[in-house]
Amino acid sequence: MAVPARVTEAAEPVLRLRGIGRRFGGLRAVDGVDLELYPGDRRTILGPNGAGKTTLFNVIAGEFPPTEGTIELFGADVTQDPARHRAKLGLARTYQQSRVFDGLTVEDNIYLAALGVRTGHTFPFRSSKRDAPLRAKARAAAGDVGLIDRLQSMVSGLSHGERRQLAIGMARAMEPKLMMLDEPAAGLSRAERVTLIELLSALPSDVTLLLIEHDMDVALRVAQSVTMMHEGRIIVEGTPAEIRANKDVHELYLGSRYYDE
Amino acid sequence: MSATVTRGRAGLRTGMTWPVLIGWGVLVAVAVVLLLAPQIFSAYDLSQILTQALWLGIAAVSVTFLYRYGGMVSLAQVAIYGIAGFAMGNVVHTINSEGGLNLGWTPWAGVAFGIAVAVIVALLFGAIASRSYGIYFLMITLALSLLVFYFFGQVTKLSGFGGIRSISRPGFIGDPITDPKPLYYTALGASVLVYVLLRYVVRTPFGIALQGIRDDPPRMRSLGYNVPLHRTLAFALGAFVASIAGILSVWFNTQISPGSINLAQTIAVLIIAVIGGLSRLEGAWLGALAYALIDYYARQHTPTLGLWLNPGRFATIIGLVFLLIVLLSPDGLIGIGHRLRDLAGRRLGTPPTSDTAAAREEQALPETAGVSTASGPSSSGGQEP
Repeated sequence: MAVPARVTEAAEPVLRLRGIGRRFGGLRAVDGVDLELYPGDRRTILGPNGAGKTTLFNVIAGEFPPTEGTIELFGADVTQDPARHRAKLGLARTYQQSRVFDGLTVEDNIYLAALGVRTGHTFPFRSSKRDAPLRAKARAAAGDVGLIDRLQSMVSGLSHGERRQLAIGMARAMEPKLMMLDEPAAGLSRAERVTLIELLSALPSDVTLLLIEHDMDVALRVAQSVTMMHEGRIIVEGTPAEIRANKDVHELYLGSRYYDE
Repeated sequence: MSATVTRGRAGLRTGMTWPVLIGWGVLVAVAVVLLLAPQIFSAYDLSQILTQALWLGIAAVSVTFLYRYGGMVSLAQVAIYGIAGFAMGNVVHTINSEGGLNLGWTPWAGVAFGIAVAVIVALLFGAIASRSYGIYFLMITLALSLLVFYFFGQVTKLSGFGGIRSISRPGFIGDPITDPKPLYYTALGASVLVYVLLRYVVRTPFGIALQGIRDDPPRMRSLGYNVPLHRTLAFALGAFVASIAGILSVWFNTQISPGSINLAQTIAVLIIAVIGGLSRLEGAWLGALAYALIDYYARQHTPTLGLWLNPGRFATIIGLVFLLIVLLSPDGLIGIGHRLRDLAGRRLGTPPTSDTAAAREEQALPETAGVSTASGPSSSGGQEP
């Protein structure tokens, strides 16, 4: 397989990063990153701990602004826009720690995700006319991620795997155009990983997916293309096959750093 | 006895458990006692204990609401009810024209004005505090609270010398000293309305989103929510509730002075919310009742134990009881009540409710109670980046 075919190569990129840098004091967590994603891309970011992957995610999602460079989402420059605007534009993300709402039920968690990208956050009345579509969406998303039996369970009582499923369910309920998942397979059992791969493979084909993943099985099966980061920079980009064959990747991941020397 | 058994069976058939039935039983008993209270208790007890507990409970429930559903520990609630009280006291007719502006408005216009001013000021305060979390939020609300206290202490044009006295009340309330019944029922009705309002609001989109913000503000931002705006509006709703307590306190005391919104009162309302139990709104009134009872009896019956204790040190008793309740039950009096109910339920043979709506309400505390752990939702320090 060559570079994955982009049906919409001419289309506007979903995400375009130009020269993104982020410093924390003297530390350059992210340094000069350029990245383009097109509708339907499935991209994994690989890299050892401290490579700057999560920092890059936080910059893209608007958790904090970059110190250098610009971010375009769906053709609009959002470099200085707050996170909530990016969510409304169609960006959904998950976190390394599941970051779900412990004090609410599974259904309410997904409901909040579905409500967030719409108006009426501060609507102080119960209205089944307004809520019924969102509730239906929440239940459908719960079904998609295998939590239909836990709808009324408190999230504080969920297992680690279920919290992971819920986080993805919430991202789905936002009906995003760009979904960014930070280590979705972390801490999952073998069986749960299989479920996760199925779940991600079943996403609508127009949803663009950006993953951070250490688990090669998940990373290379879901992704059509891989970006390798190291010390804040992108060092390699390519198809999963190319990445598997790449010497740098082997050195970084397999610890054969001194092999050639 | 047979009646109880029949009810139990009926309940079990419809899926109700003993704890639920006990809960309903307690509710009905409390409702009956509250409605018949003027017939049961002396006028003095009715006024000094029950009416006082009802309006203090409304003030405390604004603290409980902000903490339980918004993860905010506010020390500004007393200042806000003071603003409502002073605003009303200034515009309505007062017999003694030395205090306040004495504009001679009707009592009800004064109520509307007092509440409106309090809510508007709270929107401003909320906007200032809404980007802070945990101990920082608490300190900012404390600073605002002291600001209000010193403002009324020093701007005597608005607070009179030593307060505004003889503030006129709506006609039907009459004189609460000669006949406490109308004010008691007013405070009872207001309490019920406030309780129903808050229980309703927390299940609306606004309320569910507020609980999401309580649990993880940055996550809510990334879902598309305007977190500071939401917290500001919640703070204003808390202020609306507190301002009702402020109006009632003015009617109860017939006056308001800067001393009635000082730091001691701020702490008293926080104590009421905590001893009542922050896990449920009802706890606020339970805490207020306990506070009013302890206050009332400690003043009269504190024993003399050498230098350690005498009737003048009734506050020591309040402090000890507070300590005892918090140590025995971090969930306050309402937590003790729930444990007793579940214990009785087990004795009666059916398992206590779990993982259902009732249990859900109780589990969903943002963090364990207590100011030191109340840094709750912020994992990233005091300020949002």
